[in-house]
Amino acid sequence: MSSNVEEKVNHASNSKGISLPMTRVKLIMKSSPDVSSINQEALLLTTKATELFVQHLALSSFNNGSGKDQTLLYSDLANTVEEKETFQFLTDILPKKILVRDYLKLLEENPIEEADN
Amino acid sequence: MEGDGSTTDASQLGMPGEYMAGSHYVLQSQEDDCDESLHDHEEGNGSKENFREQDIYLPIANVARIMKNAVPQTGKIAKDAKECVQECVSEFISFITSEPLKLYLQKFREAMKGEKGIGGISVTEGLGEELTDDSFANQLPAGIITADGQQQNVMVYTTSYQQIPGVQQIQFS
Repeated sequence: MSSNVEEKVNHASNSKGISLPMTRVKLIMKSSPDVSSINQEALLLTTKATELFVQHLALSSFNNGSGKDQTLLYSDLANTVEEKETFQFLTDILPKKILVRDYLKLLEENPIEEADN
Repeated sequence: MEGDGSTTDASQLGMPGEYMAGSHYVLQSQEDDCDESLHDHEEGNGSKENFREQDIYLPIANVARIMKNAVPQTGKIAKDAKECVQECVSEFISFITSEPLKLYLQKFREAMKGEKGIGGISVTEGLGEELTDDSFANQLPAGIITADGQQQNVMVYTTSYQQIPGVQQIQFS
């Protein structure tokens, strides 16, 4: 399998097909536990899938958005992630934002032990 | 990492994600003109989800370019939105790397259960008494030839393989 597939992989990454650095993608994949080596085809697929994912997320959020000046805002992303089931795995890294002063106000209303502020 | 003051990543702000009775927030830097959002009550998760040691991201320029090409021509993208998608992308990659692995192991275990005399014995002989779920999760064969020479039909997840002591392995091509 190897050399033929590798040729195709290199060709795909050199041509306009892929615009994300595969070495970086590989790094991120390796940061998962239980993963030792990455098959070339899997890497290519993952990279391409990631690209498509970015497009999908960007477009969904944009269409879902507040529509102000045709700008994609962070809040659009947070809302889309909350509403769409496919993006649910992102809920932890895209929480809705809260201003510090509001948070502090909340704390006053509901006091809890804090390590530091 | 690129970014100006208004980062949404709590770890970049130099403080851990704040928790409050089962919900968590990301603290926004003191920019009064930013949009206020409703705070969102979410289930409290393990803190490691919010406090990422591995801040490996794809280059923001690439990510931004793909986003730009995805939205209509006239659209613009906020800077913190780009940074966020950058983080989401890393999360996505980790997700699709680990999830199929779990599924595979699940199916693998079910397949093993079905083959009583063959799969069960050969795998446990190879792995000894430590065949708990945890240890099993760390070992991912591409294929297994059992003790009596029969080849197990194992769903192949071509991303990785590891050595299992005592069990002969083949790699599917």
